[in-house]
Amino acid sequence: MNSLLEAIAMVSTVEVAIAILASAVYGMVIGALPGLTATMATALLVPITFYLSPIAAVATIITSSAMAIFSGDIPGCLMRIPGTPASAAYTDESYAMTRKGQAELALGASLWFSAIGGIVGTVALMVMAPALAEIALSFSTFEYFWLSLLGLMCATLVARSSPIKAIAAALLGLLVACVGIENPGGVPRFTFGNTDLLGGIEPLPALVGVFAVSEIMRAMVSPLPPPIPSRKFGSILAGQIDLTRRFQKQMWRGNIIGVLIGALPGAGADMAAWVAYATSKRFSKTPEKFGTGHPEGLVESGAANNSALAGGWVPALLFGIPGDTITAIAIGVLYMKGLNPGPTLFTEKASSMYALYIVFILANLLMLPLGILMIRVSRHVLKVPRAVAMPLILLLCAVGAFAIGNNPFAVVLVAVFGIVGYMMERNGYPVAALVLGVVMGTMVEQNLVSSLIKSDGDILPFIERPISTGLAALTMTALLWPVAVWIIRRLRSPERAR
Amino acid sequence: MHLSDRVTGLFLALLGSLAFWGGSLLPAVPGQDVGPAAFPMVIGAGLVLCGIMIAAGIGHSFEAAESEEDDQAPGLAQHLGRMGWLAAFLPPVLLIFYVLVANALGFLLTAAIILLISARALGATWPMTIGTVLLAPPFVHLIFFRLLRVPLPDGLLTMPW
Repeated sequence: MNSLLEAIAMVSTVEVAIAILASAVYGMVIGALPGLTATMATALLVPITFYLSPIAAVATIITSSAMAIFSGDIPGCLMRIPGTPASAAYTDESYAMTRKGQAELALGASLWFSAIGGIVGTVALMVMAPALAEIALSFSTFEYFWLSLLGLMCATLVARSSPIKAIAAALLGLLVACVGIENPGGVPRFTFGNTDLLGGIEPLPALVGVFAVSEIMRAMVSPLPPPIPSRKFGSILAGQIDLTRRFQKQMWRGNIIGVLIGALPGAGADMAAWVAYATSKRFSKTPEKFGTGHPEGLVESGAANNSALAGGWVPALLFGIPGDTITAIAIGVLYMKGLNPGPTLFTEKASSMYALYIVFILANLLMLPLGILMIRVSRHVLKVPRAVAMPLILLLCAVGAFAIGNNPFAVVLVAVFGIVGYMMERNGYPVAALVLGVVMGTMVEQNLVSSLIKSDGDILPFIERPISTGLAALTMTALLWPVAVWIIRRLRSPERAR
Repeated sequence: MHLSDRVTGLFLALLGSLAFWGGSLLPAVPGQDVGPAAFPMVIGAGLVLCGIMIAAGIGHSFEAAESEEDDQAPGLAQHLGRMGWLAAFLPPVLLIFYVLVANALGFLLTAAIILLISARALGATWPMTIGTVLLAPPFVHLIFFRLLRVPLPDGLLTMPW
């Protein structure tokens, strides 16, 4: 009870209130602009968090990402261009509703079910994380090694590309994490005599480069989005209670899918939305209506992508393993603010955890009024020309990267990782796997080396303890799953598989 | 810029072998079997294996077909015609430009030049570009220099705050 009161006191400050409100508006605007993702919004926000208190810093990330994931639905609904990848799964559906004259219902459903999804996700986080923390307290380096490896494998498994390319991307990330003197020997590794590389490559410039600069690079060579038609909106939330009643089962299923996929390392809101939309169609009584402006899939996947956001925080807070690309950034902020992820966080810093839950709830409640406002002004926001927004983001990338450590070398890293991210995406290599590799590299190596030292080089102790055996089995399954899929495909249609 | 799987696969295999070789040169820790060499060598070997498989086209059937849209972009890409793909590399070049000249010219002027070039390259009209160039640098300077105390270089031009 004391912790809860402390948490309320932590959140009830002017700083936190301003941080939540400002990041909410920021997230809404960035999410609504096509091509600017929630991850990019979060990455660009990090330099600002340096100057905030721990709770205010984490609050900005939670709030801006939740808002961006919702507002990504707005251009999807009005222009058939998803604002963020998380909205892509149901963009055709919501646009079809707009064409049927039901833009208010579609946008209202996106907003309403996003807020519900966010709150359900938070409740799941509140219930799941402390329970799992109890189990995690008994983990040794062997379990942590398998868990981090499983996280990397999951990221490669859920990537919508070749699993081999995804594994290669993750390995590339791990290789990036090798740079510097933070290794078992404390010797300069792959630094090539450059003193700036001695401290290793910080994940943040890599993230800004991969997510923001590569997006600007893509904008340089991609066509302009079509202009938004001018229109006035009626009541946004009218009809949502009726939709909730009609599609209650779909809403709950979407929420559960979102939480589970969010908690899966590497899989975030976009994957949750795709899976939820597919599930909704698969189990629908009227699958033929999907794609024609039917709200059923919209309800399920709209709830799923927001509940996935909170789900992503479960492995991030417990093990320091990011549930998605947003929490990959958040983990850095948690470390920076002294909220080091781990099961003890829930006992030693219980009040901070409660404060975090409160921020989640507040952000999702704030989403309703701000979302309505955003929908109403969307035609103005969406008119911000790409040729103005992208140069501004480029400037923020430069200044933000410099602000991380007042070191111009970070700006060079941002440029390099921009090229790496752009080239990878253009050639089918998932950048999320690369990011996960960069973020988790040190953790994987430390646990591998510590385990090998403990076991005197013997492999057997890696699979002797029951939990580590289970995790090892899951990791191997994740590794071999694509092979099984390939064999099944080959058996079914030999001419298709290569 | 789309490259064939053979090219990217072989590049990864080469990178992996370099990582393996570079890792093997690292000194061992006295009295300890596992040192700083182990991890890069494992990663290097993995990259070589993945690179060879990618070059051989294994796993290609899992990939979704991607649409090519390079030649419809306005601004610099349109201007460059068939070499339009080069426009994509302007943003990182501008970031390097920032690093090289920011100290000499100062933040405001460097930011203005970056905004001018990138806005025009993205097809912004002149009034739009001039508005961005005049308003954005002082605003960003105000937030980062004044409010967040980031030591942005003054160079040739300073602001009153």
